[in-house]
Amino acid sequence: MLKYTIRRLLLLIPTMFFVAVIVFFLAHAAPGSPFDAKSVGDKQLPTATIERLERLYGVNRPVGEQFVLYLGNVARFDFGTSFRSGRQVSEIIGEEFPVSAQLGIQALLLALALALPLGVVSALRQNTAVDYGSLFFATVGTTIPSFVIAIFAIYFFGVTFHLLPFVGWSTPLHWVLPTVILSLGPMAFLTRITRASMLEAIRQDYVRTARAKGLREQVVIVTHVMKNALIPIATIVGPATAGLITGSIIIEGIFSVPGMGREFLRSILGRDYPLIMGVFLLYAFLISVANLSVDLVYGLLDPRIKVAK
Amino acid sequence: MATVTAPRQQTAADRAAELNVLVRKQRSLWQDAWYRLIRNKAAVLGIIVVFAFMVLAAAVPFMTQWGWLKDPLKQDTPHSLMEPIWTGSKYTFSAYPLGSDQLGRDILSRLIWSTQISMLVGFVPVSIIFLMGVTIGLTAGYYGGWIDQVLMRLTDVIYAFPDLLFLFIIMATLRNTAIGDLQGGLLLIFVAIAIVNWVGMARLVRGQVLALKEREFIEAARAIGAPARRIMIRHLFPNILAPVIVSVAFQIPSAMLAEATLSFFGIGIKPPTPSWGVMINEGFVVFSTSAWPVLLPALCISIVMLSFTFLGDGLRDALDPRMKI
Repeated sequence: MLKYTIRRLLLLIPTMFFVAVIVFFLAHAAPGSPFDAKSVGDKQLPTATIERLERLYGVNRPVGEQFVLYLGNVARFDFGTSFRSGRQVSEIIGEEFPVSAQLGIQALLLALALALPLGVVSALRQNTAVDYGSLFFATVGTTIPSFVIAIFAIYFFGVTFHLLPFVGWSTPLHWVLPTVILSLGPMAFLTRITRASMLEAIRQDYVRTARAKGLREQVVIVTHVMKNALIPIATIVGPATAGLITGSIIIEGIFSVPGMGREFLRSILGRDYPLIMGVFLLYAFLISVANLSVDLVYGLLDPRIKVAK
Repeated sequence: MATVTAPRQQTAADRAAELNVLVRKQRSLWQDAWYRLIRNKAAVLGIIVVFAFMVLAAAVPFMTQWGWLKDPLKQDTPHSLMEPIWTGSKYTFSAYPLGSDQLGRDILSRLIWSTQISMLVGFVPVSIIFLMGVTIGLTAGYYGGWIDQVLMRLTDVIYAFPDLLFLFIIMATLRNTAIGDLQGGLLLIFVAIAIVNWVGMARLVRGQVLALKEREFIEAARAIGAPARRIMIRHLFPNILAPVIVSVAFQIPSAMLAEATLSFFGIGIKPPTPSWGVMINEGFVVFSTSAWPVLLPALCISIVMLSFTFLGDGLRDALDPRMKI
């Protein structure tokens, strides 16, 4: 187990390296300079100024050389300076990551809090109105894209009835719409998984045994069915993290939440290379770690599963 | 062939009469799946709606030629931000049944015109993904070796970043290049979606092939000397098709959604070419004064997404009743 963990952790290094290679060269493949009017978003700077800026940030060198320099800096935990704001990338991310993390964790907790009971109940009452209702919700929630739901929500709760604010992140009231909408996708998905996994567990022999020996139905459901049914749910933490990250980019963009997702959008549109690299590497790292932890936790939760090799 | 002539060719019905059993017309597995599919009401609804949108998209050039469809780009500022006629508000204009946007462009014809973009984005990249994924997945799974190694390492890297992030960065950096300008950015979207998604398809095919290639029927084919290409095309391919079809049915809407999302954030289709995402993006500026230019395309996206999900779920249940979630 320890050997496996170490091996997987070491494999993170080449994965992150290739992510860095791909994103770095892709970002630099864009024509023109990151200080063009097109990238800066307002008037054209004088050529001399552009040249000075390019020299200052080293973007006039060959891309390969820039990449080697960048890697060297990253190895010393220096992620460079943002072209746009002139601030340290680590400082910007340090400021915005907590906001995104709060949004993501709130959404994940909300999703879990509603999806688990819903999935369990609809499995116990299979083919009743409750079940069909929750399946319908799960289908709609996984199907209708979050930005479309966000639009409808802003229209009803914000524009028409003025119930909730929908720009910014300043008060807890501002947290409601982004959190709820970000949680819908994972919530719907979790409901489906919980229901399917409960249905499978109910039909197992050990459940029949538990019933046959005369245990109360409540005990059977809680200690025999649910305990086993909830194991597969641990596996979706990986995909859920990825979903929350992509989801948060869209949601933060729509609701102007001052987090990393909005920064990512701004940085790719403004060709702010150091910021693109910083945000992207952090995202890739989070997702890889989430996937890894799922594999490890899964082995701990279910002794029947042997981690391969 | 030995030429022993039977006195009379025995048909299935004769044999059934002999055995005194009722014989049913034979059905292939695919026909069975088809019957299961059309018994599923939601799936049939999905098929009908998807088909209707496809017909609409295909009809756009003819409707334009015959003058049935107004020019989706023509601006009419005196009649901007008209509301749909059923609202009964005084800001309606009979020439624009669904109203107009802030530049006075007819929303109905823009919506109809946009179906073309959505259908193209749904089907063209997914065809590329299908061809690449199946070819590479079959080869990697059947031969193993370096192709397989390269494929697996590639998936490791691709899986470390979510599709949408990758799409965003490809579109944001390459949209101002020569390829980004072709067809209002449509071509770049095709390529970007194909690049991001073919790996998943290849991995799916490879997994199926690995499971199948040790089975007896493949061994039998190899034993009678069938060449590798024939085994792959005639024996492996038809047997991996079911999960591939299901996956394709879900990739089509996700490609459409990717286009809508990219266009919504202003890095997809380039205006003035209308697409549902572009319409939402442009309408969002005036959202708090007039919501229709945003709500209507959002509704179209929702309908198409739901229909494809119904169809995909139906296909999954019909093709493989064991694949349940």
